[in-house]
Amino acid sequence: MAQVDFVNVDKSYGSFRAVKDVSFTVGDGEFVALVGPSGCGKTTTLNLIAGLLDLTGGEIRVSGKVINDLDPKDRDIAMVFQNYALYPNKTVAQNLGFPLRMRKVAKAEIKDKVEEAARLLDITHLLDRYPRELSGGQQQRVALGRALVRDPQVFLMDEPLSNLDAKLRVQMRAELKRFHQDLNATVIYVTHDQLEAMTMADKMAVMSGGVLQQYDAPERVFEEPANLFVASFVGSPAMNLLPATRVERDGTVFATGEGWELTLSDRNGAAARRSETDAIILGARHSSLALHETETSGAIPARIYTVEPTGDLTYAHVEVGDKTFVISVPPDRRIAADQPVWIGFDQNKLHLFDAKTEQRIAQD
Amino acid sequence: MNSRFRITRWHVMGWIFLATLLFFAVAPMVWMLITSFKSQFAALKYPPELIPQNPNLEQYERLLSPKNDVGRQFLRYMLNSIWVSTATTVFGVAVAVPAAYAFARFRFPGRKALFFSVLFRNMFPAVVFLMPLFIMMRWMGLVNTYTSLIITYLTFGLPLSIWLLKGFYDNIPVELEQAARIDGCTRFQAFYMVVMPLSAPGIIATAIYSFITAWNEYVYALTFLNDDEKLTLPVGLQRFFAEYATNWPGLMAASFIMSVPVVVMFLILQKYFVRALTEGAVKA
Repeated sequence: MAQVDFVNVDKSYGSFRAVKDVSFTVGDGEFVALVGPSGCGKTTTLNLIAGLLDLTGGEIRVSGKVINDLDPKDRDIAMVFQNYALYPNKTVAQNLGFPLRMRKVAKAEIKDKVEEAARLLDITHLLDRYPRELSGGQQQRVALGRALVRDPQVFLMDEPLSNLDAKLRVQMRAELKRFHQDLNATVIYVTHDQLEAMTMADKMAVMSGGVLQQYDAPERVFEEPANLFVASFVGSPAMNLLPATRVERDGTVFATGEGWELTLSDRNGAAARRSETDAIILGARHSSLALHETETSGAIPARIYTVEPTGDLTYAHVEVGDKTFVISVPPDRRIAADQPVWIGFDQNKLHLFDAKTEQRIAQD
Repeated sequence: MNSRFRITRWHVMGWIFLATLLFFAVAPMVWMLITSFKSQFAALKYPPELIPQNPNLEQYERLLSPKNDVGRQFLRYMLNSIWVSTATTVFGVAVAVPAAYAFARFRFPGRKALFFSVLFRNMFPAVVFLMPLFIMMRWMGLVNTYTSLIITYLTFGLPLSIWLLKGFYDNIPVELEQAARIDGCTRFQAFYMVVMPLSAPGIIATAIYSFITAWNEYVYALTFLNDDEKLTLPVGLQRFFAEYATNWPGLMAASFIMSVPVVVMFLILQKYFVRALTEGAVKA
């Protein structure tokens, strides 16, 4: 297994820059998720590692060796495709053995390795079948097996679970994670599903518009999103964001908006002072907000728009001025649409962003 | 009570229409076959015998035996035709496969314009090019050579071949090649080991199409070739008409022999052909 370094990686198509100056390091044996909305450059980045696309600038190193100009076949990587890309005219055994055959491995050894991979993935009974005779989940396993059989330095996975139905996806997600733990493999995994990234990855690289927005462990990305994009992309339901104006009176910092004013704690006040301009944005996760039915000090007035019970939790959609907040409450809470409420903030879990730069303001 | 299928007036009219078409398609061939088994005398009888009274293979023996002049000549024409058609097919496939692949896979400046210009040729009737091409061939000193025919057939056959094959390559997911390249193939190996086998039906169909077109072509062969020795079957057959005008069974036997390769090839490979023609049109 290996460490992968991205150094100022750039990819342009004519005047369009699909990947802009991306740098990060995937540690040996780490599971890294490249995550972002479609068109953010994550699949392009993966194809750059695979060698299916040529870099416009920068370097990619695997185990310290620059691989920019190597053919895909010489990079010692394996890839699992979204549509699995199984060879339709070859049996499962032939599909699994193909990478070995191309590397001129002896026939007996190919047979052993194919059988071993098949046993590991529980597809031994399918070896003589053709891909079209398999279910989606089985095809997925074969695709994984074909990557596995070669014992490559790095595994690349391009949305490998997105063609599966919801139930199978959850099961395969757990299997993939387990597979990574057992093999201690270096995995780079592309997904648009932030939940998949959160649950599986050691680190997530959040991308948008070709730019790497944040690269960190999932819990850090969740707890300290680097900017407004990451804050709104990671977590479900998305973080509530409320534009406000910073006002200072008698040494106390307030955040104010139309018809409301919130006294900021010392820590948050100090942070707010570091904003370039008076325009700041408050961010709060649904679970860090309290819903009061009577006027409470430190809470801002709002109105219930609608109530969504999901069983475990009930999500209250609440209007604050022209913004809508989503707040989770226990399912036995009796609230109704159009009811006036007051939203209380947990200042320890409040996020602050500079409205001008859209960057997080560190609180310390 | 058969409520799911009721015979309506439209059905009946449809059947009559189809039967008429079938009659016009099949009757001449049947007549050709019947006549070829008759004696020369019986072939001229009026009213004609619908079933030959003394069927014999005399004409076939004569045509296919190199021991007499007619047979030698006929076999010569056949060999010429086989040579021209095979060369056209081999070169045609060799050019159409990479061209179609490039159109399907690569983005290069002028790709669209080039692709449509390839089809543009097919909008004109072939005869339009007869004189210009003849003048060009004479200028290049290619008149009375097979090269002139092979080049002409290629320019006429390639557009459709490329079009047919591109449909095939469009339907082969590009990820298969990417997977192959990651699995250890060079770009060429990925094409040769993964894409080619999957496009085999298309390649076979293209080959049949090229072969049949070249095998049947008449006008250009008549114009470009002079030596009796070099004639292809369609033109040679026409000479037969002139020289042996009274030997109808002989002519019919020769015509039948000429259509055999086409029919046999088509019967064996028709499923690929039908697939090729529909593949590009309907996305699977």
